[in-house]
Formats: sequence, structure tokens, C-alpha cells
Amino acid sequence: MTKIYKESKAIDDLSFEICKGELFVILGSSGSGKTTTLRLINRLIDPDEGAVYLNGNDTKTMDPVKLRRKIGYVIQQIGLFPHMTVKENIGLIPHLEKWKEEDISNKIDELLTLVALPPQLFRSRYPNQLSGGQQQRVGLARALVMDPPLLLMDEPFGALDPLLRMQLQNEFLSIKRKLDKTIVFVTHDIEESFILADRIGVMHGGKMLQIGTPSELLFEPANEIVSKIIGAENKFKAIKFLQAKDVMILIDKNCLIESDISCKEAIDKMISGKIDSCIIKKSNSDIAHISLIDLLNEKDKERSVMDLGNKLSVFAPSDTLSSIILLLKPSKESMAAIMDHDKVLGIVRLNSVLMNLI
Amino acid sequence: MTVIDTILSVWTVHQITLRTIQHLYMFSIALILSILIGVTLAILVYSNPKLANIWFNVLNVIEMIPELALFIFLLPILGLGEKPTIAACVLYSILPIMRNAYTGLAHVSNEYIEIARAIGLTKNEILLKIRLPMALPLISSGIRVAVVYIMGIVTLGGLIAAGGLGVPLQAGIYRYDIPAIIVAALWVGTLGVFFDFIAWIIENRLARRFNPW
Repeated sequence: MTKIYKESKAIDDLSFEICKGELFVILGSSGSGKTTTLRLINRLIDPDEGAVYLNGNDTKTMDPVKLRRKIGYVIQQIGLFPHMTVKENIGLIPHLEKWKEEDISNKIDELLTLVALPPQLFRSRYPNQLSGGQQQRVGLARALVMDPPLLLMDEPFGALDPLLRMQLQNEFLSIKRKLDKTIVFVTHDIEESFILADRIGVMHGGKMLQIGTPSELLFEPANEIVSKIIGAENKFKAIKFLQAKDVMILIDKNCLIESDISCKEAIDKMISGKIDSCIIKKSNSDIAHISLIDLLNEKDKERSVMDLGNKLSVFAPSDTLSSIILLLKPSKESMAAIMDHDKVLGIVRLNSVLMNLI
Repeated sequence: MTVIDTILSVWTVHQITLRTIQHLYMFSIALILSILIGVTLAILVYSNPKLANIWFNVLNVIEMIPELALFIFLLPILGLGEKPTIAACVLYSILPIMRNAYTGLAHVSNEYIEIARAIGLTKNEILLKIRLPMALPLISSGIRVAVVYIMGIVTLGGLIAAGGLGVPLQAGIYRYDIPAIIVAALWVGTLGVFFDFIAWIIENRLARRFNPW
């Protein structure tokens, strides 16, 4: 789609797709067209060319008011109506939709609890009686009240101080996991985009330059501008917010072997599978790594592979690279296993990751 | 004692209780009408500054006509008495109410309007739920100005047989009855200050409650 303002293209032949259930971050500096893109989605403005499709339906055919009530919207700081209490702010649309009083009240309490504001304390307060962080939480609660499948967020944490921002980002991530919604999140903060995003779209001059996961953007920027926006020349800074899932090497299914087999059996398996190192999983916390050479060098071929393997520390996919490095440093380990619940997803090799970052 | 006696005698001779009732009757009708008309006009023009300007110019012209002249203009249409008095009050008070209401409605911060649209309010819902409540403090200060206008004009209505507290005042002036003038004038003044005070309390409450952070 294209949007023209005073003969300059605010949005220039933009086309991209957002998947159901993902948190898609639009990253760009001011004037890149990221907010305009957001406003095009819920028809606050209409494109001059092209269209926005929601589940395959052109939004132009929908009633804008009905459409917007099904899309949550959160903006930077100001956004709560100052003449309404927390309760009235959140309940505004349900009232207009003529819900039952009791249902509205229950929904409000449920949402306030979700955003960690005790309802009995906050229900009747006015926005000017709330701190910035609390206002932002109420804003999120209001956006969720109609249970919208899609949530649009325009730099919601932009006006908060860094410490509070970090706390709210983390809370937001855990709320997001509970909710399972599609979220389009606009920000100019690279760090924020790396922490939150499933995928990031980098915008500049009304164009979408590249879409990818944080590590794709960092390690394979499509062009100079992307690399500048992402700060690719200062990649090492990214250890603070790159997550295990961004840098891990995915484990193939045949690279996983059971723990109760002998050295000899393992050698056979690995040679027939043409792999030269593998992961042994005994329990959720007992993961080891072994290479074919180690196995071949072992004299007692009847020993269990578990005894031979190098034990690996286990991390979650959302752990940051810096926290992994910090925990591995004392034991001088250079490899870690990444597990999601009871499934081994991959391994992180610190040496190669760090080489990539410099 | 003599002061109180004088006041009491003026009070009974000039039927000030009755005059006060007449006075407040005209006052209330005029105030309610001008609020209704002023706010309605503001609602009709708030999204159209050009149209609003035309209205303000017309009302400004009316505002410039002296009260007595306005009474005379209204005489052929409405005759003598309460009607032209109330009409004059309304004509004068629409301007402050409408101007404040217009300013309040039209100048609600764009961010609020934007978020209201974004969460799915229609234009009318934005007017009722956002613009009007947020304009209330300004509207009420416009009403406060109107209260003072109306108080004065209703008193002047005594000249054209409208009754009210203008009557004892006129009578006092014609007969050079100084106690009557003083009592009636102070009483009208007290009423004026009293209503202004009430309006001030309301305005203050609204301002505190509706004040954006």
C-alpha cells in the first residue's frame, strides 16, 4: 500500500504479512512511517493505494468503528481519559456495546488483576492519581477489554524511565504468553525490539527494508541502512538482549541419543547417521554432549555414553546471551543446551557466537 | 433597632419577598434557556470554525447594543413585561456560554480524540463521552459570566414592567426613597454574589475533577 501526505510518500509501496499469534515489531526512527503503518491497520487513515487484509478480508469493506473495537490500541503515556476513573476508562467500549453491568465489572477486575493492579485499590482512581507505569498498565487493560485478537501498540513504554520500562517489558512478555494474541508493536528502541519481538520489520522512509528475527537482522542485514539502524557495527552490545533462541544451533532429531546405550551402540548410530557429535538426554536437567572422536578414543566400549559425555548447563530459549555467558564463565564451559520444557531445542556454542558478534 | 425596623418596613412596603420570587423566576428561565441554546449552538458549530465565527460576530453585535435599546427593539415583538426581559437576558448570555462551550469542545487535545477514535468511538460518542465532559469546566465558567449578566438585566426589567427586584429600585429612585434604594440594591447585590459563589464552587469542582494531568 501507499499513503501520500502533501505529495511525499509517507508509506511507499509497503507490503508485508504478519502471522497469527506473533509479536511483530516495526522498528524505525521517527518519520520512517511506522506509526502511519499502525494507523493504516485499524483504518484511522486509509491508504491511497492498496489495502490492508485481515484474515483475507479487505478492511475497506468493514465498518471502521466495528473494526477498531476488535483491535486493541495502546499509545504512549497519554491515552487514558482524565475525566474518567480507571473503571470507566476500561469499561467505556463495553458500556457502549451494552454489556451487562455485572459482566463489565467482572471483566474490569479480571483485567486489572492481569496487569498487576489490585482492583479494589485502583478501580475508582482517576488517571492523575496513577504513576506513569500504572497508567500504562490501565491502558493495556483497556486495550484488552473487548478480547481483541489483534493488538496494536505504539511505543507504549516510550515515555517511561529505563528501569520501569524494563520491568513493564518483562511483565508484558509474561502477559503476552498468557493471552496468545497477534501483536503489532511499534518502537524506535532496538533493545526493546530484540527483547520483545518474534520478528522485526525495519522501516525507513516509508519502506520496509527487511523482516527477520533479531539474529537474522544482526548477522545478515540486507543493506547498509538496516545495519546502521540495527547497530550491526556494535553487535557485541547485543549480548545484553540477544536471547538463546536467537543464537542457538538447532538440533536435528538424529543428533539426540538415549542415555542408556553403550559407547559401541552410540558409535554405530553416529556413523550410520553421518554425524560427528550428538546430545544425550537423560532427564530434563541432565544433558550431555559427546563427539564421535571421544567415543572412538574410549577403550572400554561397553561404558554407558552418559558417563563419557560432557555435562551441559541448561537454559531456556528466552534467557539472554549475557546471562548465559555469566553463568558459564566460572566453569569455563563453552557450550550450553537450550530446552523448552522437556524438549531439547538446540545448543549454544559460545565461541562461534562471540566470534559472530565481533 | 431602627436599621432593622427600616429594612423590615421597606421589605413589606415594597413586597420584596414577592419581587424576589419574580426575580429568581425570570433569572432561572433565562439562565436555563441560555445554557440550552448556547451549548446547542456550540455543538452545532464546534467542528466548523468558519460557521462558528459567523455566529460569534452576530452575537458580538447583539452584545454591543445597550440593554435599554435592546428592550426597545424587543417591545414591538414581545410587548412589555417578563418576555422581553427574559429574551434580552438570553440574547446577552448566549455569547459567553457559546464561546466557552465552543472553545471547550473544539480544543480537546488531539491525542484524546485520536485514542477515542482508535478504540472505536463514533463521532457522536466522542462528543458525548469525551468532548462534552472535558469541556465542562470551561462551559461552567461561561455560565458564571452569564449569571452576572442575567442578574443585571433582570433588574433592569423593572423598567418595562417585568416585576422583579428592579421595581422597588425604580420606585426608590423616583420617590427619592433612599432606604428602599439601599435595601433593594444590597439585596440584588447579595443575590448576585450568592449565585456567583455557587457557580464558582461548581466550576471549581469540575475543574479539579476534569483537569487533565
